[in-house]
Amino acid sequence: MANIAISGLNKTYGSFRAVDFIDLNVQEGEFVIVLGPSGCGKTTTLRMLAGFIEPDGGQVILGGRDITYEPPYRRNIGLVFQNYALFPHLTIFENVAFGLRRRGVNHSEITPRVKDALSLVDLSHLTDRLPRQLSGGQQQRVAIARAIAIRPDVLLLDEPLSNLDAKLRLQVRDELRSLQKRLGITTIMVTHDQDEAMSVGDRLVLMRSGRIEQIGSPDDLYNRPANRFVADFIGRTNFLRGRIEKDQAFHSEGGIVLTSASQPPGATEAMIRPEAIRVRSVPEQSGPNAISGTIHGHVFLGGLIELAIDMPGGERITGVISPRELEEAGVKLIPNAPVYISVAPKDVVLL
Amino acid sequence: MQTKPIGAAALLIPATGLVLVFMGLPLIYLFRYSLNQYVPGEFIVDGFTLENYRIFFSEAYYLTGMWTTLLMAGAVTILCITLGLPIANWIARQSGTLKTILLMAVILPLFISNAVRAAGWMVAFGQAGVLNYVLLQLGLISEPLQIMQTPIAVFIGMTAVNLPYVVLTLQSIFEGLDENIDFAAASLGAQPLQSFFLVRLPQVVPGILAASMLSFILAMNAYATPVLLGGPSFRMMAPMVVVEIMNKANWPLGAALAFILLATTVAISILAALFIRRRY
Repeated sequence: MANIAISGLNKTYGSFRAVDFIDLNVQEGEFVIVLGPSGCGKTTTLRMLAGFIEPDGGQVILGGRDITYEPPYRRNIGLVFQNYALFPHLTIFENVAFGLRRRGVNHSEITPRVKDALSLVDLSHLTDRLPRQLSGGQQQRVAIARAIAIRPDVLLLDEPLSNLDAKLRLQVRDELRSLQKRLGITTIMVTHDQDEAMSVGDRLVLMRSGRIEQIGSPDDLYNRPANRFVADFIGRTNFLRGRIEKDQAFHSEGGIVLTSASQPPGATEAMIRPEAIRVRSVPEQSGPNAISGTIHGHVFLGGLIELAIDMPGGERITGVISPRELEEAGVKLIPNAPVYISVAPKDVVLL
Repeated sequence: MQTKPIGAAALLIPATGLVLVFMGLPLIYLFRYSLNQYVPGEFIVDGFTLENYRIFFSEAYYLTGMWTTLLMAGAVTILCITLGLPIANWIARQSGTLKTILLMAVILPLFISNAVRAAGWMVAFGQAGVLNYVLLQLGLISEPLQIMQTPIAVFIGMTAVNLPYVVLTLQSIFEGLDENIDFAAASLGAQPLQSFFLVRLPQVVPGILAASMLSFILAMNAYATPVLLGGPSFRMMAPMVVVEIMNKANWPLGAALAFILLATTVAISILAALFIRRRY
């Protein structure tokens, strides 16, 4: 186990800057998620860490050791891929033993270490099977066991859950998370799925066009996005264009006046998360950010209801509200019915 | 509404008909000939005898020919696979223009007929040929090597004929391998050579067997190369069939030889196919 210090790492393909001078420090035992849309450079970054792509410049320091130009087979980094990438011709046991044998681990030690690794992922009973005889979820757990059996300094996960169906994805995700905490292994996971990122990561690194847009905790990125891209990428959001007037309030183009907890100078947009929207059937007597509108329509999201509300100025705000709250507020889901909404100033983020 | 699958099967009728008329019938005819009696000076004498097959199995001339054919086909196949594996693996890992050039270099020889290529080898291997000239000039040999009209010349010539087929077959299989599996092997500590032997090679075993069968069948039935490079005293089955039919006008024995060659090739192919299916 070790920390990773990445500095000035960059890679260009022709005129395309795949990774544009990124700096990132990952602490020992930390679970860091690199996420972003496809083509943002996250996979290129991961492959440079693993040693499959040679960077044009920059440095990767792993536990004090400069591995920037080390071949992959000398890095001691465990890898898990989206498509499992198990060795199809080897049994589960031999798959997990592969890295140990390459390291010249003592013969008598191999069996217990393979068994240990497989029991961590609850698969000790399947040692004699071939990969194709296992389900996708089992194969991915074997891949995880194979990667941790070598006691790597770092675990790199490349979209490890994307090939699994929705239910299995949650299960393997939670297993992965608890295993990572139990072993205290420094882990970097690449994903395009923000829900996955929010639920397992200690810290998130959001990338776009080869650059890092924001590094922070899931809470930071969700509630204190650095810019519109981050706000838009993480979760669903209402954006209102406008500007801060002399009264220190934000005036949207449609004439909505919002007070916010912070007023960054030059802000041109207000961001409000759908779940920050409160609804009433009668106008609120006092309090900031009380706005009236009309119901445009609604969508059931299982336990919650997504409500689209038309503002007088032509803007539309989406709220996500529980049916119970709607009932208590006495709001009827009738198109064009008047509705009154309010937002706490701390939930209005100006960008 | 879904139409019955008979519609698709019906589309195969013309092709099946062609195969039956132009391949099945001649084969049946040939088999019938192989049971005829041979009377020198007379073309067709209807009969019903296994005499021609008995001749094959009792005369060293024919058995040696079959043995030579099997040995040559086996040796050529082994060399083709040995050379083809690293070449195919290497081509599969290239990209862009280089890959196109390499693939063209493999495919282009197939545009030239076997006989013409054999003529090329004759120029290269002859007493005053290119190879002997170079070796003499370099002082590596003091007198020209006798390569033409030897099994070695046939061996080299046939390997050159079969190698493109083997490389193309293997290359397409290497191409289909998952790159992430190589990455996984490397991350687990496998150096490139270990990775090739422990991870890539085992994955392409079915492909190796398929390419071997292809090369073996081609070599078993080779005609132009053994005739042109092997000389009159070197005998393989396909040229022997031609000698019986064209030179000796012994159609019954020629037909019997052709059938024995066909049966041996098919039998070995089926055994190999069974082996592939059982193992993979």
